[in-house]
Amino acid sequence: MGRLARIVELYYDVLSPYSWLSFEVLCRYQHVWNVDLQLRPSYIAGIMKDSGNRPPAQLPRKALYMVNDLRRLRQHFQVPVQVPEDFFSVVFEKGSLSAMRFLTAVCLECPEMLEKVSRELWMRIWSLNEDITEPQSILTAAEKAGMSAEQAQEILGKISTPKVKNQLKETTEAACNYGAFGLPITVAHVDSQTHMLFGSDRMELLAYLLGEKWMGPVPPAPKARL
Amino acid sequence: MGRLARIVELYYDVLSPYSWLSFEVLCRYQHVWNVDLQLRPSYIAGIMKDSGNRPPAQLPRKALYMVNDLRRLRQHFQVPVQVPEDFFSVVFEKGSLSAMRFLTAVCLECPEMLEKVSRELWMRIWSLAAEKAGMSAEQAQEILGKISTPKVKNQLKETTEAACNYGAFGLPITVAHVDSQTHMLFGSDRMELLAYLLGEKWMGPVPPAPKARL
Repeated sequence: MGRLARIVELYYDVLSPYSWLSFEVLCRYQHVWNVDLQLRPSYIAGIMKDSGNRPPAQLPRKALYMVNDLRRLRQHFQVPVQVPEDFFSVVFEKGSLSAMRFLTAVCLECPEMLEKVSRELWMRIWSLNEDITEPQSILTAAEKAGMSAEQAQEILGKISTPKVKNQLKETTEAACNYGAFGLPITVAHVDSQTHMLFGSDRMELLAYLLGEKWMGPVPPAPKARL
Repeated sequence: MGRLARIVELYYDVLSPYSWLSFEVLCRYQHVWNVDLQLRPSYIAGIMKDSGNRPPAQLPRKALYMVNDLRRLRQHFQVPVQVPEDFFSVVFEKGSLSAMRFLTAVCLECPEMLEKVSRELWMRIWSLAAEKAGMSAEQAQEILGKISTPKVKNQLKETTEAACNYGAFGLPITVAHVDSQTHMLFGSDRMELLAYLLGEKWMGPVPPAPKARL
C-alpha cells in the first residue's frame, strides 16, 4: 500500500486527565492516518521525581484553571472527563502505581486488550469518580473491558513480580530519556527524526509533522470497508 | 451585518515567545472571525510573582523542551521565533519592564500603532530579523519619555492585575467574551478551542487571508 506506517508512541498514566485526551485523539486517528500507535503505560510520579518538576495542580491558580480547561475540553474533545470531588486525595494521596503496573502486565501478556482496559481505568478515576487503587477496582475495569474474570485475576497476580515492576520502570525511564517532565508525551518517528511532543495540545502539530490532515479532535470515522 | 463582534482580549508580554505565537494567530483571525481583538500589554514577571508560579525555563527539561517546541512551531505557525544565544540573560536578567511600559504608553497615546510596535519588539528579542514599525523618531522619543510617568506605570500595573483577576499564572492568556460568558484560555495552544467556543471555523495557525473587498 506504499509507505511504512510511522511509529507514534504515547507515554501515559491514567492519573493524568490530559493523557486521556491524547489517548482518545490518537486512538481515533490510528485508523485514519498511516501510523502505528504504540501505547506505553508509564508512571507520572516517577517522571516528576526524575525531572524535578511538580504536578501543576499544586499551584492554586493552575488547579483552578485545570477544572475550567477540562470542562471545556470535555465538550470539544468529546471525552467524558469530570474532575472528581476529592481531586487532591485521588491524585496526591492514592496515586496510580497498581493501576499502571496492571496496564504494564496487560501490555506484556495480552496487548490487544491494552486500549480497552486503559480506557476503563480512566473512566473510573476521571469520569465516574471511582477508585482505581483496590484490587477489586482494577478487576472490575478489566472485566468491563472484555477480559474474563480468570484472565484478569491471573494478570493481577503478576503486578508485583520483578518483571512487571521493572518493565514499568524501564518505560518510565524511556519517557525521561526523551526529555519528559510530565505526561502525556507523544513520540513521533518520522523519516529519520524523532519528535517528542508534550501535552494533549500538540496533535495538530503532530499531523503537520506527519504530513497528515488534521480534522479536529473528533475526526469522522473512516468509511467502512466491505 | 448581524451579530456584534465578540471581544477577545490578549494579555501578553514580549518577553514571552508563546505570547508572540498567540498574537500572530489572533492578528490573522481578527480579519476572518467576527471578533474585536483588544491587545493588553502586561507584565509577566508581575503575574509570576502574584500567582506564586515560576517561569517554565527554570526547570532544565522544560527549557530544553521549549527550544525544540519553538523550532517546530516556528514552521507550523510561520512566525520567525528563534531562541536567542543569551536566552537566560535576556529573559531572567534583562527582563521586559521598559518594553512593556513603552507598549502601555503606545496603547494610551496611539493605539493604532500597538500591533506593529509589539511585533517590532518581539522581532528584536525573539528573532534574528528586525523591521521598523513605521513610527517616526520623534514620536518614538516622545512616548519613550512617558514610560516612567505614574500614568503609564499604573496602567501596566492595572492591566497585569486584570490578568491576575482572570486567574492568570503566566502569559499569554486570551479572554473571550461570548454571549454572557467569559473564558480565560492559557497558552498559544487553545486557538482551535477558541474557535469552537466562538462558533467560528478553525483553519490552522495560518488561515488564508480574507478575499479583498472592492
